[in-house]
Amino acid sequence: MRLLRVAAVGMLVAGPVAAQSSQFGVRGLGLLQRPISVRATGTGGSFGLFDPESALNPASIGQVSFLNANFQTVQGWRRSESPAGAASARDNRYPGVFVAGPIGGTRLSMSVSASGLADRNFVLGSRDTLILRGVPVEAFDTLASQGGLSDLRVAVAWRQSRAVQWGVGLHLITGSNRIQSKREFTDSSYAGATERFTYSFLGFGASAGVMVRLGRSVTLGGMVRTDDRLRTERDSLSIGSIALPVTVSGGARIQLGDRLLLAGSALFRNWSVANSDLIVQGGTGSVNSTEISAGLEFLTDAKRAFNRPIRLGLRRGTLPFPLRPGDKTTETAASLGTSFRFLADRAGFDLALQRVWRKGGAGFEETATLLTFGITVRQP
Amino acid sequence: MTRVRALMLLLALGVAVGCQEELASPTECPELCPGLSLTIRDTLILANQDQDSSFTGYVGAEEMSALLISDGINAGEARAFAAFPKRPDSVTVGGTTLPITVDSVALSVQLLARDSTLGGLKLFLHRIAPGLDSTVTLAEVDAMLTPETLIDSVEISDTLKRGTVRLVLPASKLDRLVGPAADSGRLGIGFRIKAPEPTGIRIGSLFSVSGGPLLIAYGKVAVTDTALQRQTLTVPSEKANYVIEVPAVGGNDRLVVGGKLGTRSILRFTIPPAIRDSATIIRATLELTPAVPIRGLRNDPAALQVRGILVDLGAKSPVLSNLSVTTPSKANDTEVQQVEVLSIVSAWLGKNNFVPTALLMGIAPEGGSFGRPEFFSSRSGTGTPGLRITYALPSRPGHP
Repeated sequence: MRLLRVAAVGMLVAGPVAAQSSQFGVRGLGLLQRPISVRATGTGGSFGLFDPESALNPASIGQVSFLNANFQTVQGWRRSESPAGAASARDNRYPGVFVAGPIGGTRLSMSVSASGLADRNFVLGSRDTLILRGVPVEAFDTLASQGGLSDLRVAVAWRQSRAVQWGVGLHLITGSNRIQSKREFTDSSYAGATERFTYSFLGFGASAGVMVRLGRSVTLGGMVRTDDRLRTERDSLSIGSIALPVTVSGGARIQLGDRLLLAGSALFRNWSVANSDLIVQGGTGSVNSTEISAGLEFLTDAKRAFNRPIRLGLRRGTLPFPLRPGDKTTETAASLGTSFRFLADRAGFDLALQRVWRKGGAGFEETATLLTFGITVRQP
Repeated sequence: MTRVRALMLLLALGVAVGCQEELASPTECPELCPGLSLTIRDTLILANQDQDSSFTGYVGAEEMSALLISDGINAGEARAFAAFPKRPDSVTVGGTTLPITVDSVALSVQLLARDSTLGGLKLFLHRIAPGLDSTVTLAEVDAMLTPETLIDSVEISDTLKRGTVRLVLPASKLDRLVGPAADSGRLGIGFRIKAPEPTGIRIGSLFSVSGGPLLIAYGKVAVTDTALQRQTLTVPSEKANYVIEVPAVGGNDRLVVGGKLGTRSILRFTIPPAIRDSATIIRATLELTPAVPIRGLRNDPAALQVRGILVDLGAKSPVLSNLSVTTPSKANDTEVQQVEVLSIVSAWLGKNNFVPTALLMGIAPEGGSFGRPEFFSSRSGTGTPGLRITYALPSRPGHP
């Protein structure tokens, strides 16, 4: 019970904190996040469909045999370039809290999780010259957003057999963007002006997934998720809703010997369904997004799989919210990771290091180094 | 245990490097920004027709903060006068009251302001009747300032901008400072100035920080201790005032501020609901058009003071002491006077704000300045007072 209480508190605080994030998170709902564990992150996300600590495929929690909880945080170092200039930034997010455990006496497992769905933290600065009272006055504008979307999931998995697991999940999507627009003037005769308001979002969704083991070494996984429209309010005033995409993902994991696991997966979201809604609300629209990933996990200790493994991964995908209409935005990442377990494997931490390259339209580039740190505790 | 410590160390490191923010990313707006920045607009709001007027009497007839003395300036002719009580003829030395033999007397005034670009300024002191009060006219005072009543004059140093001006009279002239028995020994002094050009000065009054005119007597007492033989008697003036004859106001359509008795003007405005409810005012400037070149003393600008009011009760409107701005009002200026009143006007905004949208104007120091601007009003047909407001309207950027 103590473990559950700690996890519940963690879920309340999960999500992004004040930070300057990617310039590719300015449009649409922000920069999409992956509901995967640190372990899966270290493999480029390729293990996400099969990982019992990830909230991607509800079937994956069928593997858990102990009540466990994990919490992760990401520290990012980023350099962005745009036609207007370059900037370096750091940020910190708390993208996930995950609790899962078996339901005693049954073949069911259950999990409750909170993970970041989209990160929309940014501060944009620009200059302008206005003619005020017949005189040119230079203005400096900043537009800042804090917040994003979180995905709260309750999932149940059923172990049909040792080879087949099914899972379903219910999702609550919630979050806000706290916007602050500020205009200041170089002429001290003019006071600055600021407006503040909050966009709030609420939506629901459902997901289902399956994991099938074929023979001794091959496991296939797949999931599908569909979400209701995301209702949008500005300071409690409804301004419309945004259609959310159907998510489909599938992948395979292969075990080669006692120490090596390979995995690959692909994910598709038809974000184009949100295009017209975003344009109506003043945005640049959205396009379908895809993601493919591949990775491996090498166990240095075959008897203790989570103690000092070596994980490597690659990922490439497209982002759904272009900076300018018609632009194609891509994201490529290379990652590595490991884990440490102690106290008879009842506690431990995971690390993943990613190098990410993002490219938008002409002149928009970004490189980022992301260090993900996770803590896992397991009921004895 | 070592691993637990390592875990705690890593966690602390994560927290330490975690919660940090960096500078804004440069971008090109509007094409790459999710929405426009605040919309800036500018408008001129004229004072409400026939709702602006002037009131006088905010300074008591004997309570002015300075005494004015002038000679030929457009702000008016001014003479100052003071009355001293009978000078004591004894002092207390070591608990014993002893008669003092006065051998010289100094008359001292505190110079508060002058036209520092003008030299050759001379202050003349005349012996006049001590019973003058605030009802006396300039002509009556001038009638007493004759060569026969002249006590003496003192040249004010060209380098002296503020400070003490003293006239010392030796024993041979002390009879000029003896009050007549008919006035119970009280002494009246009249002040006027002369200079190569029209000018004026302001000197300390009984209500100014530096104090009013003083009479200081130096003398000897008959004691054996030589260190105690030299004694001083200081006699402050018991009354000090001035009389000024100002040009008549151009008409009832004028707004006046300043003057000896403190004249104030009230202006009322109607702020459009769109600004009042939704805007952020980034600059508010009160524009006042002088009907005549601003009256005052050159190089001694009066402060045009504008204040917000708590309740609009006309002449008796209580002012909001924390909402006050001042701007110098230069003598002989004919340009439109601009007073930045952002702090006051900002207090008018908001749907549930009941602060009156009115401005109360005056001159500081009230009653003790030559400054007496005369502005066109809403009835003048031209030069109506206006409030130029530059404001920002929300644009709701940051959309998804």
